[in-house]
Amino acid sequence: MSIKRREFLKITTAAATAALATSSAAKGMESFTGWPDRYGMLTDTTLCIGANCRRCEEACKKANDRPMDGLDLNDNSVFERTRRTDPNSYTVVNRFPNPRDPETPIYVKKQCMHCNEPACASACLVAAFTKTKEGPVIYNKDVCIGCRYCMMACPFYVPTYDYFDAFAPQVRKCTMCYDRIKEGKIPACADVCPKEAITFGKRSDLITLAREKIRHNPERYHPYLYGESEVGGTGWLYLAGTDFTNIGFSNNLGNTPYPELTRGFLSVVPLVLTIWPVLFTGFYKFTQSREAAKTESDADTGERDTRWQR
Amino acid sequence: MDRNIGIALACLLLLITLSGITVLGQPEDRPVPDATRTPCSDCHVCQTPTRSEPCLSKCLRTGVTSTPAHSATEGPDMAMLDELEQLYGPVRFDHKHHAEMVGMGEGCSICHHYSPAGKFPPCAECHGEEPAGPPNLRQPGLKGAFHRQCMGCHREWSHDTKCVVCHLPHEGSAFSAAPHDSTDIVGIPHPEITVPDVKVWVTPHEEAPTVTLHHQDHIDLYGLRCVDCHQQENCSYCHDLDKELRLGKTDEEIHAICNDCHLNDPCGKCHDTGQKPGFSHASVGWPLNKYHEKLGCRSCHPTGRKIARLNRECAACHGGWNQANFNHVRVGLQLDEIHVELECTDCHPGKAFDKMPDCSGCHDDGRTHEDAPPGEYVRSLSLH
Repeated sequence: MSIKRREFLKITTAAATAALATSSAAKGMESFTGWPDRYGMLTDTTLCIGANCRRCEEACKKANDRPMDGLDLNDNSVFERTRRTDPNSYTVVNRFPNPRDPETPIYVKKQCMHCNEPACASACLVAAFTKTKEGPVIYNKDVCIGCRYCMMACPFYVPTYDYFDAFAPQVRKCTMCYDRIKEGKIPACADVCPKEAITFGKRSDLITLAREKIRHNPERYHPYLYGESEVGGTGWLYLAGTDFTNIGFSNNLGNTPYPELTRGFLSVVPLVLTIWPVLFTGFYKFTQSREAAKTESDADTGERDTRWQR
Repeated sequence: MDRNIGIALACLLLLITLSGITVLGQPEDRPVPDATRTPCSDCHVCQTPTRSEPCLSKCLRTGVTSTPAHSATEGPDMAMLDELEQLYGPVRFDHKHHAEMVGMGEGCSICHHYSPAGKFPPCAECHGEEPAGPPNLRQPGLKGAFHRQCMGCHREWSHDTKCVVCHLPHEGSAFSAAPHDSTDIVGIPHPEITVPDVKVWVTPHEEAPTVTLHHQDHIDLYGLRCVDCHQQENCSYCHDLDKELRLGKTDEEIHAICNDCHLNDPCGKCHDTGQKPGFSHASVGWPLNKYHEKLGCRSCHPTGRKIARLNRECAACHGGWNQANFNHVRVGLQLDEIHVELECTDCHPGKAFDKMPDCSGCHDDGRTHEDAPPGEYVRSLSLH
């Protein structure tokens, strides 16, 4: 006889308690809505000059010490295709046709959105990504193992990888100039933009500002602030004069933070891994011992019968 | 028996595990933020603004231009914008001709959007040298402000966003100036644009070729704003450097504009064999007096395009009159010494001025104002 009924009950009660405790811990994480004074950025695509400008791309490369080769700001042929960020360009400006006015295309700067609850950070096995309390999502190259799960997790296809660096490849993306913010400066792209189409400020202030802009210029702006609620809210917000699907933004990302989609499942993984082996071993031992006892009792039924009668 | 308990407990555990997954997998709906209300802090810097001390924000973006219209010649001919001279030399800004151009549109306020005391403050008074950032996000820096003012129109007009379109390069700079373009409208005075009183077109329409537009009536009587018809007509509407100079509109464009209001009207509403007269209220059997003739239709027909309900209550407009400030001679009756002292409502109970005056308030003998006038008629009475 290896397990008593009393012990079995003890184990199951403990398991149930542990399960409840894990659930409530996961619930607690959901109630955190982000650092209150975190910074964000607002791109007003109706202001962006685009052609012959791209000063933000240049400033970004300078600020992040990326190679400048091949960057010709007066070469407008780069707009012929929609570009993605790459390890040397943390931000790119793309051109989209303007449905309202075909003569004046819309230029959209693309970079990391600095999600409130970043999918990249959630997917990272070694916690190389951090959502800082200032707002930027930053990367720690010292712990990264190069799995690139972050690149697959990102709903905006932003993180890129140093595929051509054989020895110390890194995942690379916009850092919202975290170092400059720490020094009290504003991000390089916002600093250089001649029209101040990019505004740096507290995210809550930027949302207020964006709503004011929409309210005061209803004919100029499409009444939607992209990033306010997408994937649980992003640090980078966008205003546009047209529907966002016309300028390369997806409208089907949902408003649920991506980490939340997996949190329920992942929070019970430790529970299953720790409890189930013990539990089912217990079941096995329990039923096995009963089988053994039954066989034994079948063998000496007469003796037990007399014992019971006694 | 023991086995049954074991199975039951295992099921319970599985249920707890699964319910944990289900509950955590469904996030609560987030409230949609309301963007329609204007917070007081948009304009007022203090908590309790009053009429005498509205504590308006020092530099506002919208709706604060109180300066009356200036003529283009009052401003400087040329302005050198050299506050931010770095990569390039100063910008030579042809103020006079830009001022002439905006005279056709929204006026000086299109650039000088803030002029509280009749004087345009220098741009740098509100717009600092640094780009906007915390804590003040609403005022772009000087560089941003300049570029926002210029690039909006220039992008639409010339589709050229090269820096050297405006910036003079430094001596020996790597940047070269764009060659002067003779199609550049800056430097060429624009012919004066007149506002026609009546505009007549002769169209290819065979039966009724003449179309008459009573332009001034559309403004004065029908209360239309310029932009209601002249939509998106900025400089680049005519002067797009990539296209030929655009003078006038196509038939389709004109019909589209008129159809905003006249969609359900027959062709004969506008098209006729000869010039049509403008609308006269006499044509509907009710000539207006010289005072009401000047009013816009909506003053009496407040519902707008559908002229259906007439507001017959004189007091709806004339509620401010009383015995002291109303000159009764204007309606053709000079009140005598006694009656001139009375309150309006003594004779016009309930301020129903469109009805006959009632003498029974004071006189018991059943008299009417026609039998015993309360003064002297200077002309025959007309209620309207």
